[in-house]
Amino acid sequence: MNRTTRILFGFVTASLVLGSTAGAQGVTRKAPTAAEWASLAKLPDFNGVWESAPGGGGGRGAAGAGRAGRGGGPSLTPDYAAKAKARANSPAEEAQAANCLPPGLPAIMNQPYPMEILLTPGKVTIVIEAYTQVRHIYTDGRPLPADPNPLFYGTSVGHWEDDTLVVETVGLAQVPRGLTFPYSEKLKVVERFRLTGPDTMSIETTLIDPDAFTAPYSMGSRTLARHRTWTIAEYICEENNRNFVDDKGSAGVKLGNPLSSAK
Amino acid sequence: MSSRNIESNLQKVTMNMTATVRQMIIAAGLAVGGASLALAHHSYSAFEMAGTRVITGTIKKMDWTNPHTWIWIDVANEQGVVETWGIEGMSPNYLERRGWSRNTIKVGDKLSITFHPLKNGDKGGSFQSAQRPNGEVLGMTPPISDK
Repeated sequence: MNRTTRILFGFVTASLVLGSTAGAQGVTRKAPTAAEWASLAKLPDFNGVWESAPGGGGGRGAAGAGRAGRGGGPSLTPDYAAKAKARANSPAEEAQAANCLPPGLPAIMNQPYPMEILLTPGKVTIVIEAYTQVRHIYTDGRPLPADPNPLFYGTSVGHWEDDTLVVETVGLAQVPRGLTFPYSEKLKVVERFRLTGPDTMSIETTLIDPDAFTAPYSMGSRTLARHRTWTIAEYICEENNRNFVDDKGSAGVKLGNPLSSAK
Repeated sequence: MSSRNIESNLQKVTMNMTATVRQMIIAAGLAVGGASLALAHHSYSAFEMAGTRVITGTIKKMDWTNPHTWIWIDVANEQGVVETWGIEGMSPNYLERRGWSRNTIKVGDKLSITFHPLKNGDKGGSFQSAQRPNGEVLGMTPPISDK
Protein backbone atom coordinates (compact mmCIF):
# COMPACT_ATOMS: atom_id res chain seq x y z
CA MET A 1 0.00 0.00 0.00
CA ASN A 2 1.57 3.29 -1.03
CA ARG A 3 1.19 6.48 0.96
CA THR A 4 -1.69 7.90 -1.07
CA THR A 5 -3.60 4.66 -0.90
CA ARG A 6 -2.93 4.48 2.84
CA ILE A 7 -4.25 7.99 3.40
CA LEU A 8 -7.28 7.28 1.24
CA PHE A 9 -7.87 4.01 3.06
CA GLY A 10 -7.60 5.77 6.40
CA PHE A 11 -9.99 8.47 5.29
CA VAL A 12 -12.57 5.99 4.07
CA THR A 13 -12.26 3.95 7.24
CA ALA A 14 -12.64 7.06 9.40
CA SER A 15 -15.69 8.11 7.40
CA LEU A 16 -17.27 4.72 7.86
CA VAL A 17 -16.61 4.76 11.58
CA LEU A 18 -17.82 8.33 12.06
CA GLY A 19 -20.77 7.77 9.77
CA SER A 20 -21.80 4.65 11.61
CA THR A 21 -21.96 6.44 14.94
CA ALA A 22 -24.66 8.87 13.86
CA GLY A 23 -27.59 6.66 14.69
CA ALA A 24 -25.99 4.81 17.55
CA GLN A 25 -24.77 7.58 19.85
CA GLY A 26 -21.18 6.48 19.40
CA VAL A 27 -21.51 3.03 20.94
CA THR A 28 -19.48 0.40 19.15
CA ARG A 29 -21.10 -3.00 19.16
CA LYS A 30 -18.58 -5.75 19.66
CA ALA A 31 -18.94 -9.13 18.04
CA PRO A 32 -20.84 -11.31 20.51
CA THR A 33 -18.93 -14.13 22.14
CA ALA A 34 -20.09 -17.72 22.29
CA ALA A 35 -20.75 -17.22 25.99
CA GLU A 36 -22.99 -14.24 25.24
CA TRP A 37 -25.00 -16.27 22.74
CA ALA A 38 -25.26 -19.10 25.28
CA SER A 39 -26.38 -16.74 28.03
CA LEU A 40 -29.51 -15.90 26.03
CA ALA A 41 -30.81 -19.36 26.91
CA LYS A 42 -30.95 -18.30 30.56
CA LEU A 43 -33.26 -15.38 29.78
CA PRO A 44 -37.05 -15.75 29.88
CA ASP A 45 -38.34 -17.19 26.62
CA PHE A 46 -39.59 -14.06 24.88
CA ASN A 47 -38.88 -15.23 21.34
CA GLY A 48 -41.87 -15.68 19.12
CA VAL A 49 -44.90 -14.04 17.59
CA TRP A 50 -47.17 -12.19 19.98
CA GLU A 51 -50.45 -10.35 19.62
CA SER A 52 -52.56 -8.34 22.03
CA ALA A 53 -55.01 -10.79 23.54
CA PRO A 54 -58.70 -9.95 23.21
CA GLY A 55 -59.78 -8.24 26.39
CA GLY A 56 -56.15 -7.90 27.37
CA GLY A 57 -56.69 -4.50 28.91
CA GLY A 58 -54.82 -1.34 28.17
CA GLY A 59 -57.84 0.73 27.25
CA ARG A 60 -59.16 3.57 29.31
CA GLY A 61 -60.62 1.16 31.80
CA ALA A 62 -57.34 -0.68 32.42
CA ALA A 63 -56.21 -1.15 35.97
CA GLY A 64 -54.46 1.92 37.22
CA ALA A 65 -55.21 3.94 34.12
CA GLY A 66 -57.61 6.28 35.82
CA ARG A 67 -55.65 6.70 38.98
CA ALA A 68 -53.49 9.66 38.18
CA GLY A 69 -55.89 12.11 36.67
CA ARG A 70 -59.39 12.81 35.49
CA GLY A 71 -60.79 11.08 32.43
CA GLY A 72 -58.21 8.31 32.45
CA GLY A 73 -55.30 10.59 31.55
CA PRO A 74 -52.38 11.87 33.60
CA SER A 75 -52.60 14.74 36.00
CA LEU A 76 -51.25 17.63 33.92
CA THR A 77 -49.17 20.60 34.96
CA PRO A 78 -50.97 23.97 34.52
CA ASP A 79 -49.19 24.71 31.23
CA TYR A 80 -50.12 21.36 29.75
CA ALA A 81 -53.67 21.48 31.13
CA ALA A 82 -54.05 24.68 29.09
CA LYS A 83 -52.60 22.88 26.04
CA ALA A 84 -55.04 20.03 26.54
CA LYS A 85 -57.92 22.49 26.58
CA ALA A 86 -56.77 24.15 23.37
CA ARG A 87 -56.22 20.77 21.75
CA ALA A 88 -59.76 19.63 22.50
CA ASN A 89 -60.98 22.07 19.86
CA SER A 90 -58.60 20.99 17.11
CA PRO A 91 -59.22 18.19 14.57
CA ALA A 92 -58.44 14.68 15.67
CA GLU A 93 -55.00 13.32 14.92
CA GLU A 94 -56.53 10.75 12.57
CA ALA A 95 -55.25 12.68 9.60
CA GLN A 96 -51.78 11.20 9.45
CA ALA A 97 -52.96 7.63 9.97
CA ALA A 98 -55.27 7.97 6.97
CA ASN A 99 -52.16 8.70 4.94
CA CYS A 100 -50.58 5.43 6.14
CA LEU A 101 -48.20 6.95 8.67
CA PRO A 102 -47.80 4.50 11.54
CA PRO A 103 -48.67 5.58 15.07
CA GLY A 104 -45.73 6.14 17.38
CA LEU A 105 -45.00 4.49 20.69
CA PRO A 106 -47.01 3.39 22.66
CA ALA A 107 -49.90 2.89 20.20
CA ILE A 108 -47.72 0.92 17.77
CA MET A 109 -47.46 -1.77 20.47
CA ASN A 110 -51.22 -2.31 20.52
CA GLN A 111 -52.28 -2.84 16.94
CA PRO A 112 -54.58 -5.67 15.82
CA TYR A 113 -51.50 -7.32 14.30
CA PRO A 114 -48.75 -9.43 15.83
CA MET A 115 -45.15 -8.59 16.67
CA GLU A 116 -42.14 -10.88 16.73
CA ILE A 117 -39.67 -10.49 19.58
CA LEU A 118 -36.07 -11.52 18.92
CA LEU A 119 -33.38 -11.73 21.58
CA THR A 120 -29.78 -11.43 20.46
CA PRO A 121 -26.69 -10.50 22.48
CA GLY A 122 -27.02 -6.88 23.57
CA LYS A 123 -30.28 -6.27 21.79
CA VAL A 124 -33.99 -6.96 21.74
CA THR A 125 -35.64 -6.46 18.36
CA ILE A 126 -39.38 -6.17 17.93
CA VAL A 127 -40.60 -6.76 14.40
CA ILE A 128 -44.01 -5.15 14.16
CA GLU A 129 -46.31 -6.37 11.41
CA ALA A 130 -48.50 -3.26 11.37
CA TYR A 131 -47.02 -0.83 8.84
CA THR A 132 -43.90 -3.09 8.68
CA GLN A 133 -42.09 -1.39 11.55
CA VAL A 134 -39.16 -2.36 13.78
CA ARG A 135 -38.16 -1.34 17.30
CA HIS A 136 -34.53 -1.62 18.33
CA ILE A 137 -33.95 -1.98 22.08
CA TYR A 138 -30.31 -2.00 23.15
CA THR A 139 -29.55 -4.14 26.18
CA ASP A 140 -25.77 -3.81 26.02
CA GLY A 141 -25.58 -1.36 28.88
CA ARG A 142 -25.38 1.84 26.86
CA PRO A 143 -27.03 4.89 28.43
CA LEU A 144 -30.03 6.70 27.03
CA PRO A 145 -28.95 9.59 24.80
CA ALA A 146 -28.80 12.97 26.55
CA ASP A 147 -30.13 14.89 23.55
CA PRO A 148 -32.08 12.41 21.46
CA ASN A 149 -33.56 13.11 18.06
CA PRO A 150 -37.37 13.21 18.21
CA LEU A 151 -38.64 10.03 16.56
CA PHE A 152 -41.82 7.97 16.22
CA TYR A 153 -40.43 5.20 18.46
CA GLY A 154 -37.69 7.21 20.14
CA THR A 155 -34.42 5.65 21.26
CA SER A 156 -34.75 2.64 23.54
CA VAL A 157 -32.49 0.86 25.98
CA GLY A 158 -33.43 -2.12 28.09
CA HIS A 159 -32.20 -4.07 31.09
CA TRP A 160 -33.33 -7.14 32.94
CA GLU A 161 -34.71 -6.95 36.49
CA ASP A 162 -34.98 -10.63 37.40
CA ASP A 163 -37.39 -11.99 34.79
CA THR A 164 -38.70 -8.60 33.69
CA LEU A 165 -37.34 -6.72 30.69
CA VAL A 166 -37.51 -3.02 31.52
CA VAL A 167 -37.39 -0.82 28.43
CA GLU A 168 -36.89 2.93 28.66
CA THR A 169 -37.52 5.13 25.66
CA VAL A 170 -36.83 8.82 25.14
CA GLY A 171 -36.82 11.18 22.17
CA LEU A 172 -40.49 10.98 21.23
CA ALA A 173 -41.66 13.38 18.55
CA GLN A 174 -45.06 15.07 18.49
CA VAL A 175 -46.75 12.52 16.25
CA PRO A 176 -49.96 10.53 16.66
CA ARG A 177 -49.20 7.95 19.32
CA GLY A 178 -52.63 7.11 20.69
CA LEU A 179 -52.38 9.53 23.57
CA THR A 180 -55.35 11.76 24.27
CA PHE A 181 -53.31 14.33 26.19
CA PRO A 182 -50.37 16.60 25.41
CA TYR A 183 -46.79 15.67 26.30
CA SER A 184 -43.42 17.37 26.09
CA GLU A 185 -40.11 16.47 24.48
CA LYS A 186 -39.10 15.08 27.86
CA LEU A 187 -41.65 12.26 27.65
CA LYS A 188 -40.16 8.94 28.69
CA VAL A 189 -41.97 5.64 28.15
CA VAL A 190 -41.14 2.79 30.51
CA GLU A 191 -42.36 -0.67 29.50
CA ARG A 192 -42.06 -3.73 31.69
CA PHE A 193 -42.27 -7.01 29.73
CA ARG A 194 -42.86 -10.16 31.76
CA LEU A 195 -44.01 -13.70 31.01
CA THR A 196 -47.18 -14.54 32.90
CA GLY A 197 -47.62 -18.06 31.54
CA PRO A 198 -46.16 -20.43 28.96
CA ASP A 199 -47.57 -18.34 26.11
CA THR A 200 -48.73 -15.14 27.76
CA MET A 201 -46.88 -11.94 28.45
CA SER A 202 -47.81 -8.73 30.18
CA ILE A 203 -46.55 -5.30 29.21
CA GLU A 204 -46.99 -2.61 31.81
CA THR A 205 -46.55 0.87 30.38
CA THR A 206 -45.79 3.99 32.38
CA LEU A 207 -45.35 7.50 31.02
CA ILE A 208 -43.07 9.98 32.75
CA ASP A 209 -42.97 13.63 31.72
CA PRO A 210 -41.65 16.16 34.25
CA ASP A 211 -42.84 19.10 32.14
CA ALA A 212 -46.32 17.86 31.31
CA PHE A 213 -47.36 15.49 34.10
CA THR A 214 -47.36 16.07 37.85
CA ALA A 215 -46.61 12.37 38.46
CA PRO A 216 -45.75 9.24 36.46
CA TYR A 217 -48.82 7.96 34.66
CA SER A 218 -49.54 4.25 34.54
CA MET A 219 -51.38 3.12 31.42
CA GLY A 220 -51.93 -0.22 33.12
CA SER A 221 -50.91 -3.61 31.93
CA ARG A 222 -51.85 -5.44 28.74
CA THR A 223 -51.74 -9.14 27.98
CA LEU A 224 -50.20 -10.56 24.83
CA ALA A 225 -50.68 -14.11 23.62
CA ARG A 226 -47.94 -16.06 21.82
CA HIS A 227 -49.03 -17.80 18.63
CA ARG A 228 -46.51 -20.52 17.88
CA THR A 229 -47.93 -21.31 14.45
CA TRP A 230 -47.97 -17.72 13.22
CA THR A 231 -45.42 -15.88 11.17
CA ILE A 232 -45.18 -12.16 10.54
CA ALA A 233 -46.95 -11.26 7.31
CA GLU A 234 -46.35 -8.52 4.80
CA TYR A 235 -48.19 -5.27 5.47
CA ILE A 236 -47.70 -2.53 2.91
CA CYS A 237 -50.12 0.20 3.91
CA GLU A 238 -49.69 2.09 0.65
CA GLU A 239 -50.72 -0.95 -1.41
CA ASN A 240 -54.42 -0.13 -1.64
CA ASN A 241 -55.00 2.75 0.74
CA ARG A 242 -58.24 4.49 -0.12
CA ASN A 243 -58.33 6.76 2.88
CA PHE A 244 -57.47 10.39 2.63
CA VAL A 245 -57.68 13.55 4.65
CA ASP A 246 -59.54 16.61 3.48
CA ASP A 247 -58.34 20.17 3.99
CA LYS A 248 -60.19 20.32 7.29
CA GLY A 249 -58.24 17.34 8.61
CA SER A 250 -61.09 14.85 8.47
CA ALA A 251 -60.62 11.36 7.07
CA GLY A 252 -62.54 10.36 3.97
CA VAL A 253 -62.63 7.38 1.61
CA LYS A 254 -61.80 7.37 -2.09
CA LEU A 255 -63.81 4.72 -3.86
CA GLY A 256 -62.69 5.24 -7.46
CA ASN A 257 -62.13 2.12 -9.48
CA PRO A 258 -61.36 -1.27 -8.02
CA LEU A 259 -57.65 -1.95 -7.85
CA SER A 260 -56.45 -2.75 -11.34
CA SER A 261 -53.68 -5.12 -10.26
CA ALA A 262 -54.20 -8.83 -10.68
CA LYS A 263 -53.63 -9.53 -6.99
CA MET B 1 -59.41 -27.92 3.46
CA SER B 2 -62.01 -26.61 1.07
CA SER B 3 -63.03 -23.01 1.23
CA ARG B 4 -66.47 -24.24 2.17
CA ASN B 5 -65.07 -25.92 5.27
CA ILE B 6 -63.07 -22.83 6.13
CA GLU B 7 -66.21 -20.78 5.90
CA SER B 8 -68.08 -23.32 7.94
CA ASN B 9 -65.42 -23.19 10.64
CA LEU B 10 -65.23 -19.47 10.29
CA GLN B 11 -68.48 -18.82 11.96
CA LYS B 12 -70.94 -21.52 12.79
CA VAL B 13 -73.83 -19.23 13.37
CA THR B 14 -77.02 -18.82 11.50
CA MET B 15 -78.20 -15.38 10.72
CA ASN B 16 -80.48 -14.39 13.51
CA MET B 17 -81.03 -11.34 15.58
CA THR B 18 -79.04 -12.55 18.56
CA ALA B 19 -75.90 -13.18 16.53
CA THR B 20 -76.18 -9.86 14.80
CA VAL B 21 -76.62 -8.04 18.06
CA ARG B 22 -73.68 -9.93 19.55
CA GLN B 23 -71.45 -8.94 16.65
CA MET B 24 -72.49 -5.36 17.00
CA ILE B 25 -71.73 -5.44 20.70
CA ILE B 26 -68.30 -6.93 20.03
CA ALA B 27 -67.62 -4.29 17.41
CA ALA B 28 -68.83 -1.53 19.72
CA GLY B 29 -66.71 -2.84 22.56
CA LEU B 30 -63.63 -2.82 20.38
CA ALA B 31 -64.42 0.67 19.21
CA VAL B 32 -64.78 1.96 22.76
CA GLY B 33 -61.57 0.25 23.81
CA GLY B 34 -60.03 1.70 20.67
CA ALA B 35 -58.19 4.34 22.65
CA SER B 36 -55.33 1.91 22.42
CA LEU B 37 -56.40 -1.01 20.23
CA ALA B 38 -57.01 0.51 16.86
CA LEU B 39 -59.07 -1.80 14.71
CA ALA B 40 -57.60 -0.41 11.55
CA HIS B 41 -55.22 2.17 10.30
CA HIS B 42 -57.68 5.04 10.35
CA SER B 43 -60.72 6.26 12.16
CA TYR B 44 -64.19 5.34 11.07
CA SER B 45 -65.46 8.90 11.03
CA ALA B 46 -66.23 8.74 7.30
CA PHE B 47 -68.75 5.99 7.99
CA GLU B 48 -72.16 6.18 9.63
CA MET B 49 -71.21 3.75 12.38
CA ALA B 50 -74.56 4.07 14.15
CA GLY B 51 -76.48 2.92 11.10
CA THR B 52 -76.38 -0.09 8.83
CA ARG B 53 -77.62 -0.82 5.36
CA VAL B 54 -77.96 -4.11 3.49
CA ILE B 55 -77.26 -4.60 -0.22
CA THR B 56 -77.54 -7.79 -2.24
CA GLY B 57 -75.67 -8.46 -5.42
CA THR B 58 -72.89 -10.27 -7.25
CA ILE B 59 -69.20 -9.98 -6.43
CA LYS B 60 -67.37 -8.10 -9.17
CA LYS B 61 -63.91 -8.10 -7.60
CA MET B 62 -62.22 -8.81 -4.30
CA ASP B 63 -59.14 -6.77 -3.35
CA TRP B 64 -57.16 -8.97 -0.94
CA THR B 65 -54.92 -6.06 -0.02
CA ASN B 66 -53.58 -3.97 2.82
CA PRO B 67 -54.43 -1.86 4.63
CA HIS B 68 -57.96 -3.06 3.94
CA THR B 69 -59.73 -5.62 1.86
CA TRP B 70 -62.25 -4.15 -0.58
CA ILE B 71 -65.27 -6.07 -1.70
CA TRP B 72 -66.65 -4.73 -4.99
CA ILE B 73 -70.21 -5.84 -5.52
CA ASP B 74 -72.63 -5.14 -8.37
CA VAL B 75 -76.06 -4.24 -7.08
CA ALA B 76 -79.18 -3.34 -9.05
CA ASN B 77 -80.71 -0.07 -7.92
CA GLU B 78 -84.44 0.66 -7.70
CA GLN B 79 -84.53 1.43 -11.41
CA GLY B 80 -82.86 -1.88 -12.19
CA VAL B 81 -79.56 -0.24 -13.15
CA VAL B 82 -76.53 -2.15 -11.90
CA GLU B 83 -74.16 -0.07 -9.78
CA THR B 84 -70.85 -1.12 -8.21
CA TRP B 85 -70.48 -0.67 -4.47
CA GLY B 86 -67.17 -0.79 -2.58
CA ILE B 87 -67.15 -2.22 0.92
CA GLU B 88 -64.07 -1.84 3.11
CA GLY B 89 -63.14 -4.78 5.32
CA MET B 90 -60.37 -5.78 7.68
CA SER B 91 -56.92 -6.51 6.26
CA PRO B 92 -55.91 -9.86 4.78
CA ASN B 93 -53.38 -10.25 7.61
CA TYR B 94 -56.12 -9.91 10.19
CA LEU B 95 -58.62 -12.08 8.34
CA GLU B 96 -56.27 -14.94 7.48
CA ARG B 97 -55.68 -15.46 11.20
CA ARG B 98 -59.43 -15.67 11.66
CA GLY B 99 -60.20 -18.34 9.09
CA TRP B 100 -60.56 -16.34 5.90
CA SER B 101 -58.56 -16.82 2.72
CA ARG B 102 -58.36 -14.84 -0.47
CA ASN B 103 -60.88 -17.30 -1.90
CA THR B 104 -63.50 -16.92 0.83
CA ILE B 105 -65.29 -14.36 -1.34
CA LYS B 106 -64.90 -14.99 -5.05
CA VAL B 107 -65.91 -13.16 -8.20
CA GLY B 108 -69.46 -14.19 -9.10
CA ASP B 109 -70.50 -15.04 -5.54
CA LYS B 110 -73.94 -13.85 -4.53
CA LEU B 111 -73.88 -12.03 -1.22
CA SER B 112 -75.99 -9.83 1.00
CA ILE B 113 -73.68 -7.43 2.80
CA THR B 114 -74.58 -5.48 5.91
CA PHE B 115 -72.38 -2.41 6.26
CA HIS B 116 -72.01 1.03 7.74
CA PRO B 117 -72.60 3.41 4.82
CA LEU B 118 -70.35 6.30 3.90
CA LYS B 119 -71.70 9.53 5.34
CA ASN B 120 -71.23 11.41 2.09
CA GLY B 121 -73.65 9.18 0.19
CA ASP B 122 -71.03 7.56 -2.05
CA LYS B 123 -71.69 3.92 -2.89
CA GLY B 124 -69.48 2.40 -0.24
CA GLY B 125 -69.20 1.48 3.39
CA SER B 126 -67.53 -0.44 6.16
CA PHE B 127 -68.16 -4.20 6.29
CA GLN B 128 -70.27 -5.48 9.14
CA SER B 129 -71.28 -8.97 8.03
CA ALA B 130 -72.28 -10.87 4.91
CA GLN B 131 -74.66 -13.69 4.21
CA ARG B 132 -74.69 -16.23 1.41
CA PRO B 133 -77.94 -17.39 -0.23
CA ASN B 134 -77.65 -20.65 1.77
CA GLY B 135 -77.70 -18.71 5.03
CA GLU B 136 -74.00 -18.90 5.87
CA VAL B 137 -72.80 -15.80 7.64
CA LEU B 138 -69.35 -14.29 7.14
CA GLY B 139 -68.09 -12.19 10.02
CA MET B 140 -64.76 -10.50 10.49
CA THR B 141 -64.41 -10.82 14.24
CA PRO B 142 -64.66 -14.56 14.96
CA PRO B 143 -62.13 -16.00 17.43
CA ILE B 144 -58.58 -16.08 16.19
CA SER B 145 -57.20 -19.37 14.98
CA ASP B 146 -53.77 -20.85 15.52
CA LYS B 147 -54.29 -23.22 12.62
